Amino acid sequence: MRVRVKLFATYREIVGRRELAWPIHAGDTIGTVVDGLVVKHPGLGPFRDTMLLAVNEEFVHADVALADGDEVAIMPPVSGGIA
Amino acid sequence: MIAVQRGRIDIAAVVDSVRRQDAGAVVLFLGTVRADPGVAALDYEVYRPMAIRRMTDLVDRAKAKFGVLDVSIVHRLGRVPVGGDSVAIACSAPHRKEAFAACGWAMDEVKRIVPIWKAEAVKAPKAARRPRRSGA
Repeated sequence: MRVRVKLFATYREIVGRRELAWPIHAGDTIGTVVDGLVVKHPGLGPFRDTMLLAVNEEFVHADVALADGDEVAIMPPVSGGIA
Repeated sequence: MIAVQRGRIDIAAVVDSVRRQDAGAVVLFLGTVRADPGVAALDYEVYRPMAIRRMTDLVDRAKAKFGVLDVSIVHRLGRVPVGGDSVAIACSAPHRKEAFAACGWAMDEVKRIVPIWKAEAVKAPKAARRPRRSGA
């Protein structure tokens, strides 16, 4: 199973991609995906607590479970700047 | 009218989109790019489908909360130069009080929940002038 992860503004610049495919396992939450991304891209670490998260274009909390094919968005606070 | 667009905002079209026979007031808000020191333009990045969804939802909430008749929101995407309009919000209502209140609230909500980010495009530093040779 996998999800599509969309990244915006500062996070897009840190990761160097607008979108990527990310593998998930049964029971994974959006928080699990963020944790994995932070390990792979440590530059995201300082932003971990202020990220806005969405699944299929709806804001969600980090404990929301994901399903195969979901569109995950990881976003800085809105109206925020790009570093 | 709800839109996220690269092109210039047609202000008259935004205002006309909320005109109604039962409206006694139309309020228009324009967000414009301010000439802060060194800033030549702002670059707007948008998560478009979610932005459209959030704006549609907040228009419905504005109607329920303030009793306004119609609300239009148009936001720019990409580069907007200093002095340009980055967002236009128009609200129509039977009376001005609700129209003013709804327009201010809608702009606050756009900045709070609509996934749009801006980055400053800075002015290029002036090229160093070559010293003139005397007598040239």
